[in-house]
Parts: sequence; structure tokens; C-alpha cells
Amino acid sequence: MDGVLSTPDYNRASTFVIEFRNVGKIYRSLLGNSVKAVEEFSLQVGQGEILGIAGPNGAGKTTLIAMMLGYLRPTTGTVEIMGLPARTYVERNGIGYLSELIAINPKWKAETALVRYATLAGIPETEIHAHVNSVIEKLGLEEHRDKRVKALSKGNLQRLGLAQALLREEQILVLDEPTHGLDPVWTQRFRGIVEELRRPDRTILIASHNLDELQRLADRVAIIDHGRLQRVVSTGYDQTHHTATRFRLTLASGQERIRESFPSAKEAGKGEYDVTVRSIQELNTALADLISRGALVASVVPERSVLEQQFREAVGESQ
Amino acid sequence: MIIGLLWGYTLIEPLRRTMGAAFSIGPASPAWPLVITVTSSVVSVSVLIALNGIVSNDRKMGYYRFLFSKSVSPVAYYTQLFFVYMAGVLVAMLLLSGVLHTVVGSFNIVNYLLYAAVIYIAMGGIGFFLSVATRYDWVSLAAVWLGSRILRDLYGAKPGWRSKAVELLPPVHKLSDVSMSLITNGTAHTSDLLWLIGYGALFFALGLLFLRRGSLAD
Repeated sequence: MDGVLSTPDYNRASTFVIEFRNVGKIYRSLLGNSVKAVEEFSLQVGQGEILGIAGPNGAGKTTLIAMMLGYLRPTTGTVEIMGLPARTYVERNGIGYLSELIAINPKWKAETALVRYATLAGIPETEIHAHVNSVIEKLGLEEHRDKRVKALSKGNLQRLGLAQALLREEQILVLDEPTHGLDPVWTQRFRGIVEELRRPDRTILIASHNLDELQRLADRVAIIDHGRLQRVVSTGYDQTHHTATRFRLTLASGQERIRESFPSAKEAGKGEYDVTVRSIQELNTALADLISRGALVASVVPERSVLEQQFREAVGESQ
Repeated sequence: MIIGLLWGYTLIEPLRRTMGAAFSIGPASPAWPLVITVTSSVVSVSVLIALNGIVSNDRKMGYYRFLFSKSVSPVAYYTQLFFVYMAGVLVAMLLLSGVLHTVVGSFNIVNYLLYAAVIYIAMGGIGFFLSVATRYDWVSLAAVWLGSRILRDLYGAKPGWRSKAVELLPPVHKLSDVSMSLITNGTAHTSDLLWLIGYGALFFALGLLFLRRGSLAD
């Protein structure tokens, strides 16, 4: 059962690793037309934090990440990593990066590509094969190691992309749409991999359309739309926040008692009811009351996840 | 290599067949300028092929994303690549001139490699800059190279600002003299060499500056 709600007051991180300060990016064409991709974006990401970045298509997520890696220069503002300009940090330390579009020379073999990236990442020659074998095993690419990149399926290519991001023990990982193209088994495994990657000294950014994934993995989620930061949502439970949230309640027995505990319950199907509460305390009190009346609760599922609810509100507000 | 061999074969072999035992090409023979024209053109084409997409291809195809998320400086990476490609061009020219030397004994391999190195820097420097600055680098380079030649022919000797302006264009007009003297004798006017190398080196440095200061992404 998901908790009800969310505030932006994240203070777990003791040190800010990544800082976007009033960042703006305007694309200008040769004809003088301009498009604002990002506007006045300010955000700090702490050490040990997993930050999700969510937003509709064209919201500016990829532009933000490109500026964070120093691939694009902000038109205004600054992006700093560990107090250094982003590009300087990347050139000195490297970042584990999985891009939304996996672009690897199609003529390379999967293993050769990883060896080359490991060389570029500065892994000592004597350790390269150990690192490469480790990520090949972790991402289940053993049978594809000798295949050319162009022969890999979308899912295997995505895993190869993730493998190159994990070659070295980087302090910062940036994963842009990491489960795009992965089958359900590997989507599940990916979540396990990210959980394993979580370390107090490692910061992870995940940009995704998949709100459920971000809800499960991230500590906070920055919701972006029209190039602006709309809100930052903590994915943890917030017992102080009060807002109307609808749950789908399934009862195995005691259906006749539902309205004694939830007066506004609406029947949604056989033994299923939609109930609206203003806090998890209210939900738990009513549930306890219902159970004490002899009802048997089979499941309680929020109509929307906390994040989804916030996302809809934030994106709706910005339209 | 293939282009060079084909080019050389189709131009020199008929000459050799026609002249039979009298075939002898040396600096004093009337066919010598033809040899110089063909061999110098092969160098230009090789440079064009070698540097095609050196930076722009990584950008267009998106390869830069994984390359430069590693602890790698794009400036150092492309500088290294530029000189690795230069070595490749010189090796190809060495093989080609070795073949040519077996047919035309007076063709000096070392002189030819010197010329190839000069042209690689002169033309390659501009090509590198165009690859950093544009998506269609080889087309731009060919246009700049040919355009400079045409504009110099049109306005170079005329009085007025145009003749001064064309002086700023790549010094392609010096190529004929440099190729003839460098490949034949191993020497050339120092000022011509400095112009060619300096011009290419300046644009190579500008390309590196653009890489440093500009955006890697499109």
C-alpha cells in the first residue's frame, strides 16, 4: 500500500553533489527562431540520493542531463558537480551514463565495445577483462558478447548500454529511460541492480516516464514540464500531508458493513469499493473499524500512486 | 589506397604501354607534371576521406554520449585521433608511392611523404575545424578548397578590396608550386610551406577551441 503523500523538504543528504543553479537553455536556429528548452531550473542533489526526473515528452529532461554531462552549455546559470563545472568534473572523474538513445558503433562486437569503453574510462589494462566480464555477467550478456552491436535486439542493446555505464565504480550514475525496451523480467532485474548500486557515497539520477519505477527506486522525484521544475516530490510516506486520496478496497467478506466505516464508499464491482480519505491515519482508523466489525479486507490499492497524483497535478497546473 | 592505385594505373599504365621500352618518366620528361598532378590529387582525396566525419560523425550518430561520459577530454581525444589518422594517411601514401616507385624509378618516396604530411596539416586542419563546426564536413571542405581556388583565380590579381579579401582564404593557389617542387626536389619556398602549414594549424587550433568552448551535442 502506498503512503499518502509527499513534500519537497528533503534533508537526508549531508552534501550536495550536483547543483543546478538558475539553469536555462535556449536553442536558437540560424533563422533567429528560438525555443526555450529549460528555464530557471534550480535543484540540488545530495550524496547517496537517488533522484528521479519525470516529465512529459519534450519537458526538458534530456536537455538537463546533457547540460549535466557538459554536452550542452547552459544559456544561463551553472551546473556544478562536487563544486566543479560539470564538464570539468566529467573529464576528471567520469560518470556512469546510460543515454535514452543507445548509440554504439554498429560494427563493434558487444565485448569489444565494452573493452573500448573500459579503456576510455581509465580502467587499468590488467583489470579491463575482469570489469568487462563482471558487467557481462551482471547484465546477462554472455551469449551476446561476440555479436555485433547491429545484431542485438532493442532489449539487449539497452543492457549493453547499461553495462558500459556500470564498468567502473562511478560516484555518479545518470540513467535516462533505463528500462526502455527491456522485457518485464529484465525490468524487474534492473530494479534489483539499482538497489544494489545504492551506496551512501553514490548519487544516482534516473529520468523516466515510468512513474511506478521512480516511485519504487527514487528518494525524490523532480517533476519537470515546459522546461521548468514544477515540484519535487518525496516518494516516502508523509503522515502530515492531508489531501483527498481514493483507494480501491476489496473485501472478502463483510461487504454489508462497509458504509458503517466508510460512509462515502462507492461500489466498484463485486466486493470492490472506492473510498476517499484525507490521510493515511483516516484510512487506517476506518480500516481498523471495518475489520473490528468482522469484515475481511483482501486488498487496499490507491487509485493512483502518490507520484502519479503529484505528476498529474504538476503537469496539469503547468498547461 | 584503392583510389590511388586505380588512378595511377589508369593514367600511367597506358603511357607505359604506348611508349614501350622507351618508357621513362623523370623530372625532365613531359609526363612528369601529370605524375605530380595525379599523386598530389591522391593525397588531397586521401585527406578528405580520412578526416570525413572525424568529429561530426560522432555527433550525428550520438557516439559522443558514451565516449565523453568517461574521464576523457574531447580535445585530447580528437587531437590524438587527428594524428592517428595522419599516420594512417602517411602509411597509405608510403605503400602507394612504393608501388609507384617500382614503375617510375625517379619518384622519391620521402619527398612524397613530406608533401603528404604538409597537405594533411594544411587541408586536414581546415577539415577538422569544419567537422567540429558543421555536420557536412567533407562537402564543406571540398567547397572551401574549390571555392578558394576559384575566387583566387577570379579576384586574386585584380585591384581593390576583393584581392585583399581572397588573401584570407586557404592558400590553395600555392599547392601547384609546392607539390611540384616538394615532390620533385624535396624543397619548397619556406613562405609557401609556412602559409600552408600555418593556415591548417590555425584552423586545427580553432577547431580544438570550439570543442573546448562549444557544445558536444547538436
